[in-house]
Amino acid sequence: MLPDHLSTTYAALADPTRRAILARLAAGEATVSELAEPFAMSLPAVSKHLKVLERAGLIARRRKAQWRPCRIEARPLKDATQWLEHYRRFWDDSFDRLDGYLAELQSGEQKDGDNN
Amino acid sequence: MAITTDAAALSADRELVITRIFDAPCRLVFKMWTEPEHLVRWWGPSGFTTISGRMDVRTGGVWSRSMRAPDGRVIRKHGVYREIVMPERLVFTYVTDDPVGNPGPETLVTVTFTDLGRKTRLTLHQGGFESVLAGEAHHAGWTSCLERLAEHLSANAA
Repeated sequence: MLPDHLSTTYAALADPTRRAILARLAAGEATVSELAEPFAMSLPAVSKHLKVLERAGLIARRRKAQWRPCRIEARPLKDATQWLEHYRRFWDDSFDRLDGYLAELQSGEQKDGDNN
Repeated sequence: MAITTDAAALSADRELVITRIFDAPCRLVFKMWTEPEHLVRWWGPSGFTTISGRMDVRTGGVWSRSMRAPDGRVIRKHGVYREIVMPERLVFTYVTDDPVGNPGPETLVTVTFTDLGRKTRLTLHQGGFESVLAGEAHHAGWTSCLERLAEHLSANAA
């Protein structure tokens, strides 16, 4: 099952503005006003988004610098991809069953004629 | 930066690809995915049973399915169909909720059916949020931002 922090990560990523902020930060550190610029948003509105991203651990801010520039953090993004391995087992097992089911269906078809 | 070692794992885990050859014609294999009475016969590991579900198989249509695990837990899976090209291609988002109902990560599944005469090659790609976003970015026009993010993460993996 998925750890709780993944829900936080995905809730944070669910907003297009926050994803765009993240993409911008991939190009390098930026201050709140630099981040606000392309969005035609107020600084408090951008700050709100940054708080959500920060709580999810997706970004970090320098505590001491006056303008507290933001930077991206990769660990939560990495954790968010690890569940893919769970799905591999799911599909492998399902496809084994599909294989058997198709065989069953087609042997039925030969007896009954093709109704598809 | 904190990214250094994590980014390598990120790119390695980014996508799941599974290929299988089924001993059945393409249109039949495709039908297994789009008709509920067939789908419930194979969807999920053995021991899991589908207890309820709905599927609105058209672009933008929603699907959901609740399954009971052998230990009695009920797991809900759901998503939205993004593309349906019969009998070649099926694209849908896929989310698995945790046992208390919190949605897990959104993933994007692309199933490709290749006609091999009496057989069918099925290729399943399942990508994480990046692939979901990539589809979205296509419409929203922020693909370049996303590419920059991917480049950035892989550059830091080196």
